[in-house]
Amino acid sequence: MSAALPLTAGVAIPGPEATRAARAGALADLAAAGWPTRRRERWRYTDLEPLAAAGFDLTPPPADAATMRSASNLLEDLDLGDAASRLGFVDGAHAAELGSSAAAGLEISDIEARWPEYAASFASALPAADYPLATLNTAFGRRGLWIRVPAGTDVASPVHLVMIGSARARVAAQPRIVIDVERDARVTFVQHFIECGAEAESWTNAVTQIKQAAGSRVELYRLQRHARGVAHTSVLAADLADGAELTAGYIDLGGRLVRNDVSIVLGGPGARTELFGLLLAGAGQHVDDHTIIRHAAGSTVSREVFRGIIGERGRGVFNGKVVVEHGCQRIDASQSNDNLLLGEHAEIDTKPELEIYADDVKCSHGSTVGELDPEQLFYLRARGLDPAGARRILTEAFAATVVERIADSGVRARALSAVRARLGALTEP
Amino acid sequence: MLTIENLHARIGQREILKGLNLHVPAGEVHALMGPNGSGKSTLAQVLAGREDYEVTEGRIVYQGQDLLALAPEERARAGVFLAFQYPIEIPGVNNAYLLKAALNAQRQARGEPPVDAFEFMKLIKSKMELINVPKDFLNRSMNQGFSGGEKKRNEVLQMLLLEPRLAILDETDSGLDVDALKIVAQGVNSLRSPERSMLLVTHYERLLELIVPDRVHVLAGGRIVKSGPRELARELDEHGYDWIQAGGSA
Repeated sequence: MSAALPLTAGVAIPGPEATRAARAGALADLAAAGWPTRRRERWRYTDLEPLAAAGFDLTPPPADAATMRSASNLLEDLDLGDAASRLGFVDGAHAAELGSSAAAGLEISDIEARWPEYAASFASALPAADYPLATLNTAFGRRGLWIRVPAGTDVASPVHLVMIGSARARVAAQPRIVIDVERDARVTFVQHFIECGAEAESWTNAVTQIKQAAGSRVELYRLQRHARGVAHTSVLAADLADGAELTAGYIDLGGRLVRNDVSIVLGGPGARTELFGLLLAGAGQHVDDHTIIRHAAGSTVSREVFRGIIGERGRGVFNGKVVVEHGCQRIDASQSNDNLLLGEHAEIDTKPELEIYADDVKCSHGSTVGELDPEQLFYLRARGLDPAGARRILTEAFAATVVERIADSGVRARALSAVRARLGALTEP
Repeated sequence: MLTIENLHARIGQREILKGLNLHVPAGEVHALMGPNGSGKSTLAQVLAGREDYEVTEGRIVYQGQDLLALAPEERARAGVFLAFQYPIEIPGVNNAYLLKAALNAQRQARGEPPVDAFEFMKLIKSKMELINVPKDFLNRSMNQGFSGGEKKRNEVLQMLLLEPRLAILDETDSGLDVDALKIVAQGVNSLRSPERSMLLVTHYERLLELIVPDRVHVLAGGRIVKSGPRELARELDEHGYDWIQAGGSA
């Protein structure tokens, strides 16, 4: 079977001895499941075959001193606050010199060093048939981080997880982060994806796993600003116990080919999630969000809001599934997906799905695809704004209603300014 | 200020304005009344530059310029202001942000430097006091979740801020209670000046008790069928429009 995967053929299994058996197992699972093709429903709109054939280096050598310097400079430019509130990664590997290894209130360790524990609690959460890219990450990703938020801890300021790509040609960066949030703990993470090098064809394949104990509250905001040549695939898997709350926000601005998978399981009564996203796709960009929220316990709540802004010759995909499992009553779920097409050759494929196996359920969903409202445009022009400025304001407003869901004001302002900058480029003729 | 000659306009295949003539000299306030469907709002929209309406005949001269040759934003920058009958909601666009952008777009067109955030706040607050709008007005999304009366007041606030040369108020009085109407009228009256003209589109005589017009025109069937002094509005209020239309008119 591995002959069908030129990507992994002949690549030596990396990492400490203790992880090798699991990695080899992951590789075998991946070979058995096969690389995604568009013949599979979940991959119908996003073709990953070119990625597999592009000759990416799954086990790149560590970044050199010059790369580390430019990564460090980039971090300074981002101005994220003191080192205690950030964790830096370069080409997928945690780089201790770029931040604190003991960010305030958190316990941080290397997944590879705690492999048996990892295998027992997290490794099986992402089966190869559904999440082949996570399986690829398991086989080859190095130096992932395990972040534990001890019971009752309230981490006051956001913790930045900065995933820096060197943009070395053909590098496949495979960061993995495990967030283990104990009872009643509260924490906010901001995950950045950004390059410090010149534009080159690289690939980031990220996995983030979250386990939330009862009563915990997590906010995770993801600000994806890849360089234009970069491919990005990601998987977020979160599992929430009784009364736990997760807010997850996806802001996707960059990259050439982007595929995000999100799986949230509301596993205990009273668990609640708010999942939102904004995708911007300009010429030559393909951005695909696939989400699934599983109500696996009664009295659970989900709110999902995704918006897409697609520029001329850009392409967006949204597939959002909400599942209410057998016998899970008193469910409240809503989902919306609204899209703005800015060009004649802009394209969006949107598919909301509900699967409900219970009867005491309040579910709503809807999707829209449209252009800027001519009434609003005229109103702004009648106030003296030129057509380009009016379009820019309305497009920003469409985006802002998503970004405004970010609770932390500093993170919100950062996201808004990144969105504005990207929109400026997207809406210019 | 404004001269309209033989204006014909249609939307799709339906002709709405059928040879309308109107002259509003500088410094005057004119009221435009008439039954539903007579073309009052169409005229207001045509003056503002709405592209859905096609002007098939006639001309509009504004301050010596051919108004129909100008894009909507050019008209606004030249001092034409339409207070919309149905102000548009724009979720996600902060009211203050938009007011400042509008003001600066017009200042730029006049070759004036943009106002900064501090100057803007000072200016807008003085205007807000005039028409008694709540402080949170500025931080809300443009008209989103505003009551009908709040939307109308927001239109008047914009007018006070932009200080147009020609203000067209399209049924700004509808949806206002008596107290709100008084406040709005006070705001509008504060703008009256020898250099400024106004066209009030209204159904109700009560507005004209508060903003006393120099002339009253009756629009019916796409044309001005009667014009007269302020007292004409009172007669209309008493007798309705039928007596004019029945009288053969114009």
